[in-house]
Amino acid sequence: MARLYEYQGKELLRGEGIPVPDGGVAACPREAGDIARRIGRPVAVKVQIWAGGRGKAGGVRFAEDPAEAESVAGELLGTRVMGFEVRKLLVEEKLEIEREFYVGLVVDSSREVRAPVMIFSCHGGVEIEDVPEGKLAKVVVDILLGLRPFHALNLARKAGVPRHLLEAVADFNSRLYRVFRKWDCRTIEVNPLALTKGGGLVAADCRAAVDDSSVYRHPELGIRVARESSCEPTDFDEIAYSIEEGDLRGTGYVAQMSQDLDAIATVAYHGIGGGGAILGVDALNKAGLRVANYADTSGNPPASKVYRVVKLILSQPGIHGYCLGGFVMANQEQWHHAHGIVKALREELPRRPGFPVVLVLCGNKEREALDILREGLADLPNPVEIYGREHVYDTGFIAHRMRALVEDYLKVGRG
Amino acid sequence: MRRHAGMRFEERTIRVSIDEERCDGCKTHACVEACQRFDRGVLRLVDGRPRVLLSGEELKRLGTECLACEFACRHRGRGAITIEVPIAGLDAYRKRHGTDK
Repeated sequence: MARLYEYQGKELLRGEGIPVPDGGVAACPREAGDIARRIGRPVAVKVQIWAGGRGKAGGVRFAEDPAEAESVAGELLGTRVMGFEVRKLLVEEKLEIEREFYVGLVVDSSREVRAPVMIFSCHGGVEIEDVPEGKLAKVVVDILLGLRPFHALNLARKAGVPRHLLEAVADFNSRLYRVFRKWDCRTIEVNPLALTKGGGLVAADCRAAVDDSSVYRHPELGIRVARESSCEPTDFDEIAYSIEEGDLRGTGYVAQMSQDLDAIATVAYHGIGGGGAILGVDALNKAGLRVANYADTSGNPPASKVYRVVKLILSQPGIHGYCLGGFVMANQEQWHHAHGIVKALREELPRRPGFPVVLVLCGNKEREALDILREGLADLPNPVEIYGREHVYDTGFIAHRMRALVEDYLKVGRG
Repeated sequence: MRRHAGMRFEERTIRVSIDEERCDGCKTHACVEACQRFDRGVLRLVDGRPRVLLSGEELKRLGTECLACEFACRHRGRGAITIEVPIAGLDAYRKRHGTDK
């Protein structure tokens, strides 16, 4: 799911005629002050991060005037809230709220449902997971029929919405469903849906995520990387995504990893098959090595895709080795991996004297693949160790070989 | 990247160049054999040289980008084949992060 920030979600709501608070996005304190000045009333200053529960974490603050808005913005920008760096703020009018509701839509992909489900509750403003099941009203939407006005009305009535608000809530929900469909959302949530003291319904917050496979239909959303992520894509993420984008021949997934772990060194890591790849990461971590990245090439990708993955992960700064963790008896034809890896390593290793490499490659066409690796890398002076099925489940052994070679590399001061 | 006159063709995301002058002394024609084994036999031996008999459109549909001809030619032929596998943005990334040297 490609997540949207609150301000982006609210833009989509606004496009369907759903009332949202007057506001704007600020990337610096001066912009926050300017927006507050234009609004001319007390404002809420809200950090824009991909996480719920910002209010409790101190990520939503209020300001009485532009000067205070500027000051609050200065305090929030650049900090970390719930582990996320704050780069943008939504500055919007502070609402006078009479009552809070919850409304959300999610694609329920379970076998029994396989359809969008709209959920409404008169208990909004808190995490929906904390609301007792009995206080939630739900309707499964027939994707062909859509959410008809009587569905929306029945949902509001079932949730216990007061009679005088039934029509307005039903209209709100119908519009929200149209947003959900138009933008190919996997989820969209308005929490709280605020009933203001003036009697109007306003979307006080919005969390939305677009189906990865539909992002190409909406270039106007500016989503550069259509993948589940907790933060903005880096320049590395963008290249990694470009390897996959539009090329469905096998998997070539790459993501950079946190570098917080204590370790003697960092290695570029290349796994095969999600589960086996993770086992390899764990083993390397236990051996005192951190991985610069996670990578998975499986599903029989062409050699060109494997080559691109290896080139990319070897482009990272601060790496002291390369480990191919093929900890799986893969059905894919491993000779394509071998050709891609050899080409990449023959380009990379000559300019990295002593840079160590440990390769494990097992499964279909294993013998031929290992022959290609051995022949293709034989004349390179770097320490290269190549293993097959005899070590397919022996992640600890491989991790310790990697560590030993990395230690040698560091000893001679090349790392 | 070596530049030379000779045969060039493209598959879906790669460009293959063959220096035909080097092919003239080749006795193994390992590229053709590799292409039969690892790809779909895109390269055929015609008058002692590797040839592509498919159209550009057919190449993009059928080629599997196995990179095997380059490997085979380097190790058993005369090093006549060069394959470019472009990665958008990688050079700029390396410059930014100091890994281009």
